[in-house]
This record gives sequence, C-alpha cells and structure tokens, in this order.
Amino acid sequence: MQIFFILGIPLLLGIAAILVKKERAFGIINAIGHLAVLSLSVVLFKDLILSGRTYSYFGFIYLDALGAFFIFVISVVSFAAALYSIGYIRDEVGEALISEKKAGLYYALFNLFCFSMFFVPAVNNLGMLWVAIEMTTLISAFLVGFHNTKDSVEAAWKYIIICSVGIIFALLGTILFSYAFSLSSGGMKSLNWSDMAASASGMDKNIMKTAFIFILVGYGTKAGLAPMHTWLPDAHSQAVAPISALLSGVLLKTAIYAILRFGIIVIKGAGFQYFGNLMILLGLVSLIISSGFVLVQKDLKRLLAYSSIEHVGIIAIGFGLGTPLAFAGALLHIFNHAVTKSMMFFGGGQIVSAYKTHNMNDIRGVIKSMPFVGIMTLLGVFALTGLPPFSIFISEIMIIIAAFVKGSYLVAALLLLLLAVIFGAFIYHFGNMFFGKLPKDMTVRTERLSGKLAFLFLFFQICAVGLLLPFIKKDLLWITQRLFHI
Amino acid sequence: MHVIMLFGVLLSSYLMVATKRISALIRTFRYQSLFLFMATFAVALKERQAELYAIAGLLLVIKVLAIPHFLYRIIKRIRPSEDLGLFINAQLSLACALSFTWLSWVFTSRLITPPGGTQGIMITVAFSVVLAGIFIMVSRMMALAQIIGLLVMENGLFLLASTVSGGMPFFVEIAIFFDVFVSVIIMGIFVYRINKLFTHIDVNKLSSLKG
Repeated sequence: MQIFFILGIPLLLGIAAILVKKERAFGIINAIGHLAVLSLSVVLFKDLILSGRTYSYFGFIYLDALGAFFIFVISVVSFAAALYSIGYIRDEVGEALISEKKAGLYYALFNLFCFSMFFVPAVNNLGMLWVAIEMTTLISAFLVGFHNTKDSVEAAWKYIIICSVGIIFALLGTILFSYAFSLSSGGMKSLNWSDMAASASGMDKNIMKTAFIFILVGYGTKAGLAPMHTWLPDAHSQAVAPISALLSGVLLKTAIYAILRFGIIVIKGAGFQYFGNLMILLGLVSLIISSGFVLVQKDLKRLLAYSSIEHVGIIAIGFGLGTPLAFAGALLHIFNHAVTKSMMFFGGGQIVSAYKTHNMNDIRGVIKSMPFVGIMTLLGVFALTGLPPFSIFISEIMIIIAAFVKGSYLVAALLLLLLAVIFGAFIYHFGNMFFGKLPKDMTVRTERLSGKLAFLFLFFQICAVGLLLPFIKKDLLWITQRLFHI
Repeated sequence: MHVIMLFGVLLSSYLMVATKRISALIRTFRYQSLFLFMATFAVALKERQAELYAIAGLLLVIKVLAIPHFLYRIIKRIRPSEDLGLFINAQLSLACALSFTWLSWVFTSRLITPPGGTQGIMITVAFSVVLAGIFIMVSRMMALAQIIGLLVMENGLFLLASTVSGGMPFFVEIAIFFDVFVSVIIMGIFVYRINKLFTHIDVNKLSSLKG
C-alpha cells in the first residue's frame, strides 16, 4: 500500500509547487514531504525483505525486494536533495539569479523528476518501464538547461538527443523480448516482467541475446556506461547542484535497474556467461575511459561526472562477476555511490557558486573560505576514492575479493590499478583546491542550516554503512539471495 | 495492398535520406507517417478491432497532422536557412541507405525468422527505416533534422512492433505516442532556446563543452 503514497506525494508536491507562491515556505514543505516518502520506503523495503513477498496491484504495479531497494535508494537521495534545495534555491533567489516564480517551477520539475524515477522500479510492464525512463530524460532536460545559458542549453540538447536515441534502442530490445516471449507462449501478448521471467527458459535464445545487446546499448546510454557516456559529463556539470546529485546518484541507477530486470530474464533463459561477459566488458571500458578523463580534468563538476562513470563501471563489473558476494557488493555500491556522490555534488555546487568558476586551477583554499563545506567535501573525497572506514571501501573490496575468488585475476588486477590511478588523480586535484592559497577577494562563507543537515544526513549513512557493515556480512549475503531469488 | 504501403514507408525513408532541404524532409516524414497510418488502418479494417482503429487514429492525429504542423511552425517562426547541412552528400547518403536495407535483410534472415515470407520483408523494412533514422540524425547539422531522425526511428519501431508481436499492449502504445509527442514539443522548445542564444540551429557548432 505504501507504494501509492510514495508515488502520490511527489506528484502532489509537484502540483502544489506551482500553486504555492512562497518558495521559502515551500522548500520546507517539500523536504518534509520527501522525509515522509523516505520513511515509507524504509517500511516498504523492510517489509518486502523480511517477508520475501511480492506485491502486485492491477497487474500494473509489481514490487519485489529488488524494486523496493531501488525505491529506498532514490528516496534517500531525493530527501537529501530536497533538504539541500531549500538553502541553494534561496541563495539563488537572493542573488537574483532566478526569480521567485522560476523557483516554483524548479520545485515542480524536481518533484515530477522524482515521481518519474520512483515509477521506474514500481512498474511491471516493460513498455511502461521504457516510458518512465524516457520521462525522466524529458523532465530533467529542463533542469539541466535551467539557467538558460549557452553552455547549459547546449548540455541539455545533447542530453535529450543522445539519451532519446539510446533509449529508442532499448525500446527495440523490448520489442524483441516480447517477440521471443510471444513465440514461446504461443502468441500470447504480454510485456509484463513477471510473465517473461516466469517463462524465460522457453524463450528463443538467439533472439533474447540479440535483444539484450540492444537493451544494453539503450539503457547503458542512460546509465552512463562507456562508450555511450558522452552526454553525461555535459549534463551533470551544467545542471543545478541538487539536480546533479539526483542525476548522478539515482538517475543512472534507475537505468541499471532496467538492465538488471532484463538481465534476470537473460540469465534464466540463456545462462549467466553471456550476461556476465558483456557487463564486465562494458564495466572495464567505462573504468578505463573515465580514469583517463579524471586524470586530465580541469572542470570540478566534470571531474565528479567522470567519477560517476567510473563507479557505474564498478557496479557493472560487480553484476558481471555474478557470485553472491559480487552481487551483494554491486548492490551495496549502488547505495554507497548514491549517497557519497550526492554529498560531493552538494559540496562541488557550493564551491562553484562561491568561487564563480568551474575551473579547478582557480579554486584555492576551500578549507579556509568555507570551513564546514570544505571539511565535509574533503571527507567525501576520501569516501569516494575508497578509503576505509567509509562505505565505498567495503563495497569495492567485496567486488575485488569476489573477482579473486572467482579466478578473474585480470579483472581484479585492472580494477585495482585503475582505482589507484583515480585515487591519485583525486587527491592531486582536491589537495590543490583545499589547501592552496586563498584568493584575496574571497570572504569566509558559512553554510545554511538546511545545507548542513543535508551534508550530515548523507555523511551519517556513509559512516554507518562503512562501520557497521563488516559485522553483518552474513545477513547481507542472505539479503542478496532474497533480492534475486537465487 | 499491404505491400504497397510497406513499399511507401521504405521509399519515403530513402527520399528523406537523399533530400537537402528541411521543408522537404518534414513533408516526406508526413508521407511516411501517412503510409504507416494506411497500413495500420487496413489491418484494423480486416481484423475489426476497436483498439487498432484507435491506434490508427492516434497515428493520424499525432504523426501525420500535429507533429509536422508543429515543425512547420518552428520553421516559420525562426526562419532558418533551408539547407540541412549534409556531412555526406545526397548520392552517397542514398547508397548508405540502400546498404542499410541489405544489412537489415541479412540480419533478419540470419536471426529472426526462417528467411523469406511477408514477415521477413516487414522486419527488414522496419530495421532499415530505423537505420535510416539514425543516419539522418548523425549526418545532418541542423537541429530540426535530429528531431525528425528520431521520429523516423520511432516509425520504424512502430512497424517492427506491429509485425513481430502483433503490436504492443494497448495502453503501452498510447503511452508511447504520448511520450513521442511530448518529447517533440520539448525538443522544439530547446530549438527555440538554441536559436535565441546562439542565433543559429547548427548543432555542429555546439561544441563548447569538451573533455
């Protein structure tokens, strides 16, 4: 039952945003609404994980533990982004960068965007899944081009065009899947995931394999897997900061969710090997390409965007390895990357708006000019590059161990090497920014309360997962088995 | 009868690939949608299903009337140059389109069905229309051409869906139509914005974001 509220609240907030004129008051209402969504999604996830049940309403909404997990991740990041938006948007209105009316539009689009993302894991019909993911593109394109500058409009145009083309391939794959299904079931017409997964073993293997390539290219574009990632750095660097966090933290994950759904059908129908090899290949390509761009990057927000490609690559490798430990690591990495990268984008957004430049060479002495944001972002850098005791360390080490245990030494070695390269690059870039000499005209800035809360909320989760998880690893493997019905 | 419509769809995709002017591109897109509508309507008449009539109606309203009208309006408002800006000249483009058709034929006969038969031909046509759409998107400089390329791809997919799986479930079909319509409107809005900020709609010159 909770799912209707999870879907309904953002929709209502979206409508209310246009009607309520005071952006200040609405920002707070918005955050409270998303807090409610977060608590509902926790209840839903706990319920589904413990009972192992699945919910299905009208044959249209289908929820199992995997879907509930993604809903939970989305709600965590959307709450943090709603919290952070209060201060961010107030600053923008205060500096007359946007009008009060446009702030209302921002909140409306923000909520519609959240609604469309919540819709993705809840829907059973694979055609509707496609429509939901395309809706996320269309809505967020406005948020990417929100400031209406030359760069942001260029980014939005590339985003909408590349993702729409990519996603058309996903529709092609979906059609081929439904063709394979109708061949195996004697002409029955259905696009429901639950039906397809049930009769996956009888479906034509060749068609299924070809269709999965299209799915991987299509949703892989949206997930930011290289070499289809070209829209991602533009869009993530030009979007409004809270939206960058949503794009990077959870939008990419909804596309991964779609790949997983089809992947489960392929695994059941055509064996694991095919799925695993493709995922590992794309994951490694993403890692290699992103590590190169991270090394030579000059733009702060693009650096973070390329790091997202890297982490999506790690997630893909985790799923590609396919042992329960690797699956658990990949799922955990989805959550860890979502919270850590959101925090980094909040920090990056603050830094960029204080220094009025994206160029890292012109940003110096962040720790002095913005003590709170500086320290949080510095901790975020350590968390993001995989230092213990933070959470990303745990999930990365799980995936690497899984690779060694499975005997994929080459994958493990490449993963370690590239992670080391990226670690070095990050420490170099951020070390200069944080500790360099403060420019003369910079004044010390303090963070608003709502912004601080958003940082602390995310940081708490990074630490909690990092510190507590090593003690409950057994439960985690059990949870993974529940999620994938292995 | 059905084959003639199919031939019309294929032929219009060749025409689109070979054309150099934006208004001709939109006009040919309208013809292609019209052929698609007639094909769907013919099936609807034969099978007498209310859903098929509804889908055919939507096709007529959205793809034959509304979208081309909207695109023409954009042209009227911003008055871009008629030239599409071809990276690859018309003759070579046409040769590419023909080779796409051959490739789709090979692909279809290897993979999907036992080779030959009406279904095989229909799938081949569908795939070559999709490929022609991609080709228009990547080899033309004007922003409007990219929108049309996307629509052509979508047309190909519609054909594919109605061939291989007897069409998608009704409400999915409706949702996709709605989605296509909304995405064209949104892309149109961005074309206006690009025109206002850059004073041109040549996407080849949108290259300030790099690295």
